[in-house]
Amino acid sequence: MSTIDAAGELHQHRTLRSYLASGRAAVRRTATPYRLPVLAAGIVLTAVSSLLPWAKAGVSFTTDLAGDLSAAGLGGHRLYLLLLALFSLIGFTKVNGVRRALLALAVGALVICGYMFYELASGGGGLGAVAIGPWLGVIGSLLLLVAADTTLESPRLVWPPLPTIGDLALIVVAVGGLLALLVIGLDIQAESQFLSYSIAVGAAIAAAASLGANVALRAAFDRYRLFGYFVCLAAAIAFPFTQHGNATWMAVFARVGVFAAAAIGLNVVVGLAGLLDLGYIAFFGIGGYVAALLSDAVFTTVHVHVPFLLVIPLGAMAAGLIGVAFGAPTLRLRGDYLAIVTLGFGEIFRIVAINYTGLTRGPNGIAGIPDIRLPAWLGGFNFGAPHTLFGVLLPFQSNYYFLDIVLIAAVMLIFARLNDSRIGRGWIAIREDELAARAMGINTVALKLLAFGIGATLAGAAGTINVHIGEAIEPNAYQFFASALLLSAVVLGGMGTVTGAVLGAALLIGLPEKLRSFQEWRLFIFGLALVLLMRFRPEGLIASRRRKLEFHDPLEDPAGSLGTGLEEPA
Amino acid sequence: MTQFFQQLDNGIVLGATYALIALGYTMVYGIIQLINFAHGDIFMLGAFGGLWIFNRLPTSLQNNHVVALPICLVVGIIWSVVIAVAMERFAYRPLRHAPRLAPLITAIGVSAMIEEGTRLKYPGAKAPLEFPALLPGGGFSIGGVTISWAQVTVVVVAVALMIALQGFVQKSRTGRAMRATAQDPDTAQLMGVDTNRVIVVTFVLGAALAAVAGVLQGARLGSVKFDDGFVAGLKAFTAAVLGGIGNITGCVAGGFILGIVEVMAIQYLPNGSGYKDLWAFVVLILVLVFKPTGLFGEQVVERA
Repeated sequence: MSTIDAAGELHQHRTLRSYLASGRAAVRRTATPYRLPVLAAGIVLTAVSSLLPWAKAGVSFTTDLAGDLSAAGLGGHRLYLLLLALFSLIGFTKVNGVRRALLALAVGALVICGYMFYELASGGGGLGAVAIGPWLGVIGSLLLLVAADTTLESPRLVWPPLPTIGDLALIVVAVGGLLALLVIGLDIQAESQFLSYSIAVGAAIAAAASLGANVALRAAFDRYRLFGYFVCLAAAIAFPFTQHGNATWMAVFARVGVFAAAAIGLNVVVGLAGLLDLGYIAFFGIGGYVAALLSDAVFTTVHVHVPFLLVIPLGAMAAGLIGVAFGAPTLRLRGDYLAIVTLGFGEIFRIVAINYTGLTRGPNGIAGIPDIRLPAWLGGFNFGAPHTLFGVLLPFQSNYYFLDIVLIAAVMLIFARLNDSRIGRGWIAIREDELAARAMGINTVALKLLAFGIGATLAGAAGTINVHIGEAIEPNAYQFFASALLLSAVVLGGMGTVTGAVLGAALLIGLPEKLRSFQEWRLFIFGLALVLLMRFRPEGLIASRRRKLEFHDPLEDPAGSLGTGLEEPA
Repeated sequence: MTQFFQQLDNGIVLGATYALIALGYTMVYGIIQLINFAHGDIFMLGAFGGLWIFNRLPTSLQNNHVVALPICLVVGIIWSVVIAVAMERFAYRPLRHAPRLAPLITAIGVSAMIEEGTRLKYPGAKAPLEFPALLPGGGFSIGGVTISWAQVTVVVVAVALMIALQGFVQKSRTGRAMRATAQDPDTAQLMGVDTNRVIVVTFVLGAALAAVAGVLQGARLGSVKFDDGFVAGLKAFTAAVLGGIGNITGCVAGGFILGIVEVMAIQYLPNGSGYKDLWAFVVLILVLVFKPTGLFGEQVVERA
């Protein structure tokens, strides 16, 4: 920032930011000639620190730090740190993208050290409880950071085209590796250790991405799309078999699946057509109430039982029809008005559900919804019973999980076909510039209504399954917050992409289950994440290519247009 | 008939609160076309700011409402304004040229942060916190309709502030800059208007009015809760739309109309109190469908 004073002198105002920048430049200038020694020292210090004791003996901790940190040795947090240090050996090579990779690893190591430092000092009696390990670890990872900062900027690494077998192997390794990482992570009991693990995994994935792994993976997926989907499906089906009959995570993932399906539906509305729907959860709830009322639940008000195979289309249709009826008059509104009106609709749904006690039993809700039972000609399969397959006990929740997979597959298919069609292009045109789209002869009202209706229908279908998983329905589960949660799943994962919506739902529903001590802070962190995301990566974790260009105009922002390689074709 | 006038009185008081909050929505929308979703929470923050200082006052001052009320108002205003300015600076300003969806989603995030931050600061805030009854007690009666001094205070303060705001926007130099920015920010900037400053001023004014509404509402109802702002904010937004968003006079009228409609609906419709929060949304949808420019709004030109 600069101003010109009365005498016409130009003054540079020194802000905190400028001080930080000049400090960084000074460090970089001093360290550049010694880049390799600094790197070596960083790796050695970090690695050594992970072998040393981290806590003074005899100190008891309030947090579960997993394992005895006062002994020398390796385990938990320190293992992840060691791995990051070893990965940093990549810094000695001169491949493209090594700077960003090293940066990611160094930041990961620093965050783990800092976090452990905090846990040790706050949970076990101040700095006195901290042994030599963390100090060395912090110094080591700081050196790594300096080494990364002195590495020359280079373009992202581009992999040579792989032979067919290489592409296929890459897909299998990547998907299988992610599944393995997930299973290992879920097995970690201590929360603090899980946090270190997540940080390490995040840093490692970011490093792999800067080395071009994701671009190569994307290319492989583009070439062998069917095979890719098949591998993903296989991994999804394999997941319950890794849980050894343990129901905890199957219950969570059954919910994740339903929400993921609903999030994909919302993605049609928000991501493709650009209509911000803040009352989306109402359609989810309408499907839920239809299913609850037609299931002959214990606390039902209507004593009918309709087979579930019929209930899904009925719930979907009810939600879709109401969506169209509501959308027809309101979709003429401009974007932000629409957001508020849909929010109002969501609240209207909830208030009616609370007060229309004759049908919904009001705030008490309808409890005792029976498990789904398929008709006899489909084997009379009972979703409420555990099954044993290949000698592995599958708790009953996995039945719903498998049903979710079927639903998600169907929703993905619908999404992909729509996205690639004339309709999808029409939506994108509307999203970019509605006036121009109309001028080009697109029937904007009809297309918007279609998007809204399809979104509502998909939500309704997901809602019917959801109440069977939860075995009860009550209006206050369908508050604005639930809509905001779904919306953030879409935004976090990446607007306009299927994988993004699934990833977002998994992160937002699954992570809080693992990080229980953050329960209190959950909503606050969620709000903060939305703000930061919109500020720094508005296209989401897995961005659609088109969307990314929209947020980062290559003419204005040449650096951003290089892409991170995590894009999905629009 | 007495009952009708009694409810009319109640509706006017409720409407005054809505109108005060709605002004913040309407001014911000008028200038940067942003639905500041977190504005309702700024209203709530005002009440919590007032409560915070009240609990720190010496007992003698706590009992002296004539002194305590202004102190609570001032601290409530300061608290709301600080948060609103920070929110503008760090959340909205960086997104000024981003696609429209981005600031709206940011606003939802900011709203969640403010609500949750308040709840975490006051672990008891899941239940309503008691707010001191700072407004004058007692009242008088005209033809069977009881009007309390508290209600009179609320309406008088609200109307005085609205008139002051209208004067500021119409007469002052900054007010003229605000109107210019609302019409065309780029041209206004070329004419030497510091639009960033104007936007900050807009947020400050809106937050201050909302804070006054928050403290008055808390003092009148005797309690505050961390999520008070959500529904109040939505209703105030409805009031702003009803009057024609961007239009200050319309916004005030919209607030009063909405307050009266809500109170009457509770009184005269079956299960009115159960559906009490519903009417605002019904009004909102009806207005947007049949007269999107609002009752007093002029045709707004779509701006890219």
